[in-house]
Amino acid sequence: MSDELVKAIADMQEEEALALTKKLLDGGAEPIAILNACRAAMEIVGQRFEKNEYFIPELILAGEMLKTISAEVKPRLKQSVDGKKGAKVLLGTVQGDIHDIGKDIVSFMLDVNGFEVKDLGVDVPVAKFVEEIKTYQPAVVALSGFLTLAYTSMKETVEAIAAAGLRQQVKIMIGGGTMDQQICAYAGADAFGKDAMAAVALAKEWTGAK
Amino acid sequence: MSAIPSTRTKVIACATVIEEMQPLMPADMQRQVLEFGLHLRPGELTKALQAAIDASTDADLILLGYGQCSRAVIGLVAKQATLVVPRVDDCIAIFLGSRDAYHAQASKEPGTYYLTKGWIEVGDSPFEEYKRMIGRYGEQRALRMIKLMLKNYTRLAFINTGVYELERYREYARQTAERFGLRFEEIEGAPSLVEKLLRGPWDDEIVVCPPGQTITYEMFAPLPQK
Repeated sequence: MSDELVKAIADMQEEEALALTKKLLDGGAEPIAILNACRAAMEIVGQRFEKNEYFIPELILAGEMLKTISAEVKPRLKQSVDGKKGAKVLLGTVQGDIHDIGKDIVSFMLDVNGFEVKDLGVDVPVAKFVEEIKTYQPAVVALSGFLTLAYTSMKETVEAIAAAGLRQQVKIMIGGGTMDQQICAYAGADAFGKDAMAAVALAKEWTGAK
Repeated sequence: MSAIPSTRTKVIACATVIEEMQPLMPADMQRQVLEFGLHLRPGELTKALQAAIDASTDADLILLGYGQCSRAVIGLVAKQATLVVPRVDDCIAIFLGSRDAYHAQASKEPGTYYLTKGWIEVGDSPFEEYKRMIGRYGEQRALRMIKLMLKNYTRLAFINTGVYELERYREYARQTAERFGLRFEEIEGAPSLVEKLLRGPWDDEIVVCPPGQTITYEMFAPLPQK
């Protein structure tokens, strides 16, 4: 039946996907099986996007389905892993940019991979990241951005973190849009990730999580 | 600006930008227009631009009606011609007349969807996409999708670049804003950057890349704050 869930998500059948999730969970399905179905569906969505069969609206709706389904799954997931959460990740779209499709997917993937994620949203001021690092004490900071305008904001955010004396406490990754090694070096971040799975792999590598 | 005659100059521009360039271009200047949709796939845009450049064997000067456009122009090279391109992030700066004008708008309200005559004409916006989505997913789901797409947007800014039939485009923008719950605003465009690209003098607002040299990201690096 989780094949049906994969198909519902991949085919943009939102109501059906949510109904199936509830049905599966009520029928005793493992929360992790639901999340695996989500992951499989996202791969299909990604492939269809690459092939020009899907466009931005489909990516957004898929992201929204992930959010709804994970809200449904999460309360049950915590019980199954003793309520234990992994390392903390602070995430946000940098100042001047409001794109968040990718960021939301990264947030979801980190979350289901056991990280504790604090998502600051979009257009996050440089000072807000600094302040949150002090209070939330994350191990990883993930800066998202889509526009080329975001390059400068990323650089300013990393510089402000360093100026506050916090640079050694955190690993910083960037991602979104056209981010690559060159922009990573320009911004002074530690690494860039090309997709949500790369973000998870980096966070795991940095925090020693399995 | 150089003494290269306009017949040895070629404009390669995006379908949206050419709208603003045409009125200022000498009639004998060569021109090639590339489709707007390429901007969503920067890798393909780079390939299309490079192919257009490679085919421009009778030009000594190639003026690109583009910005960095998700860095699609980075890596371009012309063997025989000088490449000239506005030193801006994307076409919004071109329409507003300068990088600074764009940055001022962007920092004032990042959640802005911009429209110009050119964009409305090419019909590649969430608003037109909505119409296509209705056909594919039905009205209810299409509406849900466009609302999600626009959830971080608060303003629809119509850039008045002084085009012909202004009222028609302004009205489209105004109605679109109202329909999707965005605040309508009209902001003044300026032809200054287009003029500078076409006529010079080329200063630090314009990237000039000599024959055989590759356009690099550094050429677009932000200028020191004034």
